[in-house]
Amino acid sequence: MKWPSLGAIASVAYKEFLHIYRDRRVLLLLLILPPIFTLLFGHAFEASEVTAVGSLLVNRDNTPLTQQFIDIVSKNKTFQWWKESPDIKSESDLLGHGVQAALVVPAGWSDSLTNGDPKPLLLYLDGSDTNTATALEGSIQQSLGDFQLKERDSMIETLPEEVFELGKKLPVQVRKQFVSMMTLWTVDGKILYNPKSRFIDYVVPGIIGLILQLLTVTLMACTIARERESGTLYQLMVTSLQRGEIVIGKILPYLTVSICLVVVIMALSWWHFKVGFYQPPVLALICLLFLLCSLGLGLLISTFSRTQTQAIQFSVFFLLPVFVLSGAFAPLEQLPQAIRYVSELFPLTHFCRAFRLVNMYHAGPRFYIVDLVVLLAGALITFIGAAFLLKRIEQ
Amino acid sequence: MTEPVIVLNHLSKSFGAVNAVQDLSFTIAPGTIFGFLGANGAGKTTTMRMLCGLVNPASGKAAIASYDVWKDRHLARTKFGYVAQRFSLYRDLTVLENFRFFGGACRVPGTQLEERIGRLLGLTDLEKERDTAAGSLSGGTRQLLALGCALVHDPPLLFLDEPTSGLDPVHRQQIWNLLYDLSHQGKTIFVTTHYMDEAERCTEVGFIESGRLLAKASPRSLKSTFRARLLEIDIEPLMPALVRLRNLPDVLGVSLRSGSLRIYAPDPEKLMANWRKSWPFPDLHLLGERWVEPDMEDVFTAYSQGYDSVLKRSTS
Repeated sequence: MKWPSLGAIASVAYKEFLHIYRDRRVLLLLLILPPIFTLLFGHAFEASEVTAVGSLLVNRDNTPLTQQFIDIVSKNKTFQWWKESPDIKSESDLLGHGVQAALVVPAGWSDSLTNGDPKPLLLYLDGSDTNTATALEGSIQQSLGDFQLKERDSMIETLPEEVFELGKKLPVQVRKQFVSMMTLWTVDGKILYNPKSRFIDYVVPGIIGLILQLLTVTLMACTIARERESGTLYQLMVTSLQRGEIVIGKILPYLTVSICLVVVIMALSWWHFKVGFYQPPVLALICLLFLLCSLGLGLLISTFSRTQTQAIQFSVFFLLPVFVLSGAFAPLEQLPQAIRYVSELFPLTHFCRAFRLVNMYHAGPRFYIVDLVVLLAGALITFIGAAFLLKRIEQ
Repeated sequence: MTEPVIVLNHLSKSFGAVNAVQDLSFTIAPGTIFGFLGANGAGKTTTMRMLCGLVNPASGKAAIASYDVWKDRHLARTKFGYVAQRFSLYRDLTVLENFRFFGGACRVPGTQLEERIGRLLGLTDLEKERDTAAGSLSGGTRQLLALGCALVHDPPLLFLDEPTSGLDPVHRQQIWNLLYDLSHQGKTIFVTTHYMDEAERCTEVGFIESGRLLAKASPRSLKSTFRARLLEIDIEPLMPALVRLRNLPDVLGVSLRSGSLRIYAPDPEKLMANWRKSWPFPDLHLLGERWVEPDMEDVFTAYSQGYDSVLKRSTS
């Protein structure tokens, strides 16, 4: 086997480039989709907290104290309240009211608070979306806590002098403990690695990876399948081209296009979302390895698909789990341990992890070298696999 | 005698239970226009693909210019051009781009490429269409382009798989004129075809049936393998006569040619003598009779239908 010739590779690459250039629909897709996806996904994942959830508020306890609580709850941005008359009977029919939660203040609630036997508030939650339900309950709990704190402060202010006199007779240690119990214990949180706490900074590698994975795998998967479908593969094989030359020549134009796409997406994230990029050469290396891995995967799919339709179907079957399990948009830690092993098989997982380690953690190479090695190994395995399968087509 | 360009030595290939090609052995001398004839599925394309190194022979060997067609296929491929049965150039590329691509892929040196493409554009009469996408060319011009691309590395041998099927007579003639020119330049041409008139144009013809080679000789000597003279009769009404005669025990087959019937029979003289004595079909009118020279179609029919008794089984 001779060394691949540059001239032969250039012929294949130029031909492949003409295919992309002549197929106006694909060209349009390549030019328009990445920026649109970036804007769409960027804004979609911008705010990660739940706001303005339509909710029902039924107050059956019309007293000034309750009104104070209602005032606090009304300021809670999590909810968009619809006040209903206290006579309503169907407060648990969330679907019928078109809301996701209903808060009911039972009759005699404020009296029960002052009588030393506090009644609970009633909260109906739409549990179909587990994340929202817990967020809503937590939010109500917090408003209630605020209300309770305020009530406690005003109660302390209005305590009769005798209580303080009595207090002074207590041992110092007990008094200190009592004071400590009366103040709110706090956590002094310092947020590292993402000081602005912006989700967009986290999700940018996910967006880059997702778009590139989608385009590279599907486009690449079609290249050899298309030649097989149109019969040109035989014509290609009776030339003096070696398999290596065909594979490299086919990869090059798609690699060039993908690199342009990475630049476009990064520029847009920087300009529109003010996402910063740390150590660009390292990020470029991560992107390159990821692209090679994805293109190799597409090529592999291409070599065992008989038609372009099959190639697209295989690509979709491969890409579906990748999108959900790769940790592109949510931390892998949310997944059970067993599933996480599956995630490790996807190039997108390693790409996102390495990209975040560099760009958010500003981590040193020893933290992400494993991911780079995995991506490189993936690229090599898929290329060799594709060349091997291409050899099988000959027989 | 010069070295043969193609040597087949007990070449065989089967796909599952189907024996596509069985034990083919023959040689083709340089400068030959070899016509490979056979029905669909007879093994023509499989043989050609094995020779092109696209299919791995199950057993036996073949060589092109003394390179093994499988083991040394990369070297063998520098010696031939291949025009597939289906149009298989890049439809979205222009004529010129197709030429350039195949030139680069066949490692034609850049300094020679433009000059050679210019010559091939002239040869295939595609000068005016150089910037047209290959997909928008008509069937005939597409085939000319495919032929041109197969010649881009100036190979001494050309494989053509049914190059004229589905073409109009004008383009068929054009393709054949081109093949004659190439043959005149000393190139060897290996062509499969269904058309018997095209078989007559070859300098040598091979018949393949169910993967076996039945005969291989020049068209003239193949015709001389016809043992008996061939009986042709004019009869009316034509179609009922064809069906009735075909079913006679002394007749192997009947074929219709320009309004007359050709009778393939082991002993046509005796048959005709009997008919002169007493014509057995009162409702059919025998209008005339003559003895004719068999053409390639008659020879092919006899070989492919296994009418052994009308063939001399010695030559070939």
